[in-house]
Amino acid sequence: MRRRLVLAFGLLLILFLGLAGYVLDRAYTRSVDAAAEERLQLQVYALMGVAEPEGGKFFLPDLEEARFMQINSGLYGFIFDRNGHELWRSPSALTLKLDAAPLLGSKMRPGQTNYGNASAGEQGGLSWASYRTYWEALGQYFYFVVMESTEPRAAEINEFRSTLYLWFGALTVLLSIAQYVFLRWALRPLQQLAQDVSAIESGAQDQLQQHYPSELVPVTENLNLLIKSERERQDHFRSMLGDLAHSLKTPLAVLSTALQEARHQQQFTPEHQRDMAEQLQRMDQIVSYQLKRAVKGNKAVLARPVPVAPVLDKIIGALQKVYHDKATRVLLELAEGVQFYGDESDLMELCGNVLDNAFKYGKSLVQVKAGQNGKALLLEFNDDGNGIAESDRHYVLQRGARADTVKSGQGIGLAVVTEIVSAYGGELQIDCSEWGGASIRIRLG
Amino acid sequence: MRLLVVEDEDLLRARLVKALEDNSYVVDSASNGKTALFQAVEYSYDAAIIDLGLPELDGISLIKAIRAKGLVFPILILTARDKWTDKVAGLDAGADDYVVKPFQIEEIRARLNALLRRSAGFAKPALDFAHISLDTTAKKLTVSGVEVELTAFEYKVLEYLMLHPGKVVSKTELTEHLYEQDHDRDSNVLEVFIRRLRQKLDPDEQLKPIDTIRGQGYRFNVPASKR
Repeated sequence: MRRRLVLAFGLLLILFLGLAGYVLDRAYTRSVDAAAEERLQLQVYALMGVAEPEGGKFFLPDLEEARFMQINSGLYGFIFDRNGHELWRSPSALTLKLDAAPLLGSKMRPGQTNYGNASAGEQGGLSWASYRTYWEALGQYFYFVVMESTEPRAAEINEFRSTLYLWFGALTVLLSIAQYVFLRWALRPLQQLAQDVSAIESGAQDQLQQHYPSELVPVTENLNLLIKSERERQDHFRSMLGDLAHSLKTPLAVLSTALQEARHQQQFTPEHQRDMAEQLQRMDQIVSYQLKRAVKGNKAVLARPVPVAPVLDKIIGALQKVYHDKATRVLLELAEGVQFYGDESDLMELCGNVLDNAFKYGKSLVQVKAGQNGKALLLEFNDDGNGIAESDRHYVLQRGARADTVKSGQGIGLAVVTEIVSAYGGELQIDCSEWGGASIRIRLG
Repeated sequence: MRLLVVEDEDLLRARLVKALEDNSYVVDSASNGKTALFQAVEYSYDAAIIDLGLPELDGISLIKAIRAKGLVFPILILTARDKWTDKVAGLDAGADDYVVKPFQIEEIRARLNALLRRSAGFAKPALDFAHISLDTTAKKLTVSGVEVELTAFEYKVLEYLMLHPGKVVSKTELTEHLYEQDHDRDSNVLEVFIRRLRQKLDPDEQLKPIDTIRGQGYRFNVPASKR
């Protein structure tokens, strides 16, 4: 994750600084160019100001700019007539070879200045300004042209660029270091989390430590709950497996002795057959009970809420098919939008077992009520059967009762229900319904 | 009664078929879903017993496919999974009842009987028509309160007719539902059985419980006393 963030921020930095550098460079170059054009324009005005026509030529005796007078100084002045004949050139341009055509736009309006760049052999790059004007005294159009070497400008821009690159380079290094340090600091809780998790894996600690930033607390709390419920589940399965193995040992022992006895007596008596059938049935009962006990019981950890109505509809539909002959009437009283925060198959197992008993032992009526209290689901199942004898109720409410101690019939189903209720930290109450049958009230969560 | 048993475990399938045949059912069997679907469509069955864990086409899909073909005979599911999720899935797909493995053959027989009765519209184990009563659980016939002995085949014929009261049942339908596929089907034998049944049900020839509809078949024609 850190590598990704460093990479992302690094790319962003390069992109940002690169773009900023480009924009600054362009802006500076443009301003230098604009200043140069302004300077050329001023020089043109200066030429026009001192130009004196005489005999078809121009004389400029009072030129103030010394660079016009100094040969190859980098600043050159020219005057052309409308046909492009050179009428005057500054002493500085004595040796300058020049193609005048590009400078003299025939479509130029009087008072218009054109700018451009040209190359002039040894003198290197030149930028020029050409101004067309109408001289009333002579009744003619003239072009006043000033050229300036681009070298000083290029040098100025290069110097600016060097400074810019230097500063931006320094900025990049500085920001990269800052970014690395900030990321290390900001991601330290996640690193701590990874260390905590590996410490849990290695068995050095049971839970994630509690000093995480508030943004991470919901994650760590849920992880802790998940770890806890996973551990409970492991314990649950371990004890279940032990329970299963131990409860199978007794019938196995009876089977083994019955077989030994039969071998010893050299005959398979009806008593032997009965004993073996009994033990097989007992083993079957033990296995079904333990299988049913294998509930998930995820509580509300990361659980999506399950709508209760469709689950009840499915179970009731299935049971009405199975107990078709009884034509049981079902009274459903469900609160609006009632939900279960847990595993759907656990809810189905719970409702299936309770309702199976209600359909089986009820005479003709089953009532189901469901309500919600916060995240807790409240269920009530009533029937009009004979009810559960008070002396039997404690069997049912014993959690984790060994399979071989659970009575068959109503007992097994309800023992499984008790397991599920307990896995979700809920409660189960057995009473007598208003019709004299069983009334089972369950709170889940 | 012709049944279809679909179970992939050979030993269990063989035992189940044997036990059901011993109980006077005509039984066809299949070891996978595809064959079973073919048989269900091709032949006429009174009920099917289907294991949920099947190769090629699983039990739930098989049941759905059977129902999608418009076949309405009752289906009993066999399942090793004792979870409500699985039971509900099976019943939702179109099955009518379930039995969890391991099971006692008596349980299968009782559930099957109930399903067959239910599909014929009877709520109780006994089929009561005036003074004639056929107990499908004990497989006993009483006429005016006196138990009448029936051979296994006579019972089969009578049960089939009584489960379809008022309906003309052709000889072909009777032989299809009461004989094994490769059995030599002699319709004269059927006539002999019907004659014997008439004598046992109605020695005085007053009620005439079984009509012969010429060219069409037989009809059990006594109003039901309790439905």
